[in-house]
Amino acid sequence: MRTSFELREHTADVAVAATGPTLEAVFAAVADGLAAASCDDVPEEGTRFDVDVRAESREALLFDYLDELIYLRDVRGELPVDNRVTITEPDGDDEWHLEGSARGVPLEAVAARDVKAVTYSEMRLEETGEVWEAYVVFDV
Amino acid sequence: MTTFDADGITLEQVSEYVWEIPREGDMRVPARVFASELLLEEIAGDKTLEQLKNSTQLPGMTKYGICMPDGHQGYGFPVGGVGALDAEDGCISPGAVGYDINCGVRMMKTNLAYDDVKGTEQELVDALFENIPSGLGGGGVVETDVDTIDEILEGGVRWALENGHAVEDDLTHCEDEGFRAEADASKISQKAKDRGKNQVGSLGSGNHFLEVQRVTDVFDGTIGDAYGLEEDQIVVLIHCGSRGLGHQTCTDYLRKIEKQHQGLLNQLPDRELAAAPAGSQLAEDYYGAMNAAINFAWVNRQLIMHRTRQVFEQVFDRPWQEMGMELLYDVAHNIAKKETHTVDGEEGEYFVHRKGATRAFPAGHPEVPEAYRSVGQPVIIPGSMGSGSYVLSGGDNSMELTFGSTAHGAGRVMSRTQAKKDYWGGDVQQKLRDQQQIYVKAQSGATVAEEAPGVYKDVDEVVRVSDELGIGDKVARTFPVCNIKG
Repeated sequence: MRTSFELREHTADVAVAATGPTLEAVFAAVADGLAAASCDDVPEEGTRFDVDVRAESREALLFDYLDELIYLRDVRGELPVDNRVTITEPDGDDEWHLEGSARGVPLEAVAARDVKAVTYSEMRLEETGEVWEAYVVFDV
Repeated sequence: MTTFDADGITLEQVSEYVWEIPREGDMRVPARVFASELLLEEIAGDKTLEQLKNSTQLPGMTKYGICMPDGHQGYGFPVGGVGALDAEDGCISPGAVGYDINCGVRMMKTNLAYDDVKGTEQELVDALFENIPSGLGGGGVVETDVDTIDEILEGGVRWALENGHAVEDDLTHCEDEGFRAEADASKISQKAKDRGKNQVGSLGSGNHFLEVQRVTDVFDGTIGDAYGLEEDQIVVLIHCGSRGLGHQTCTDYLRKIEKQHQGLLNQLPDRELAAAPAGSQLAEDYYGAMNAAINFAWVNRQLIMHRTRQVFEQVFDRPWQEMGMELLYDVAHNIAKKETHTVDGEEGEYFVHRKGATRAFPAGHPEVPEAYRSVGQPVIIPGSMGSGSYVLSGGDNSMELTFGSTAHGAGRVMSRTQAKKDYWGGDVQQKLRDQQQIYVKAQSGATVAEEAPGVYKDVDEVVRVSDELGIGDKVARTFPVCNIKG
């Protein structure tokens, strides 16, 4: 099972459809799709930084993770690419916990477009057989 | 009765350009589309109508859910959507305002004629591109700290005046004088402020742009005079919003509402419609935050406009005052405002949500600035970079038909992904210059392709319908000369 994403048609915005063998893989694939929606050619530069997110459900974790990447892009001035994700399921009353990292490509090194925000609209995150699938619409 | 079948949704024609989706299932009220059959066919081509139907499930939705002639699919609430939600027992919905709070358009006049600019287009477009921050990570006209952000959020354009980025006239020609008193900076998160502090005075990217235009037609001489518009005149149009600060604010409140008002959310067909019940703490907090973001967006457009004056000073070598560079008006097209409307003969207060729709108050309305009260407020409708834009005036029928609203632009018909397959930025740019003498400069070629004229609906048809309905009347048309974008 390969991890992959593709950008899908949406009249005004951009949608990312991703698949992966695990929940973690599909999260990282959607994040890579977000990077692809921002920029066509990504140079091999930039250093890695950490991302840490907690949320009350799987879907909320995906939403907050993508929101955090967009926030970090603006305040760090770097486009997050090559995303890596580890997820810890809640134990008792705990929340879902994502620990990840990304390579931050300086914005001045790319012709990147502003993806404004992640949306819940039509969001899908589900496991069918051995495959995790996600569909996320971003506001452009 | 004439009906229109759109893939499972049947619309009944109420009158010319007015189509109704009757109330059914969980809809609280019917929905209405204000469009010609031609535009309706485009509107029916994606999920706009389904989203419009969904929007009528919001508590307190009054009379009918509305889709403007330029409507298209958005997220949750359709773009081109208007919804009046009862301010007492209804709700307020961040998703029905949109992420880009107070995304809007302003137009600045000049006393230059097209002949004065001909021959200097390249120099002008280069100078504008050089001096007006655009794209991702391009900084802002000013770089500030969080204390200054608070002053901007609470002071609006008055902050710009006090800090040398505006003149008094800029305030009197802006809706609400560029200042929302309900703004509460303490309701905007630290994250949002951190994103905003490097972006004060920046265009961003996507469909945002700054355009030097020439007036090609004045359709209504009397109102044209009142607005100070004449044929061949050069004007500047600025289209952008509240940048990362607004986007983060919408995101923050969507999540807060999701956690706090799960019960209401579970009744709604799309999580992006998340709404806070009127009177709840979160409704109050969001309204304070949204109004602060509105102030931020006004300051953003003001700083870009003032910087444009300085660019014109350099290029044309004289003070901007001598070039008559005065603000015509500034309109918001992603906003919710508490307004008084009369429904079934009774006056009431409503949170009027306009997402991709523009307020269009007619002559005599007390909320139209004094300068324009006798003719109605100016409404600025940007077209694509290969077609014209329009200035309308608020129409006499807007209060009765559309809660005082009209369209906001051409409206997309083609997705960004498809546009990039069909167009190449360099070709689009060259064709515009060679065939139409339009000079375009952008941070990214892909943006030019995504915003190619062919991806939009016919703005002429959108405006014709608005005019025929009497919700926004044609005053003048403009055509691009120079365009910069992210």
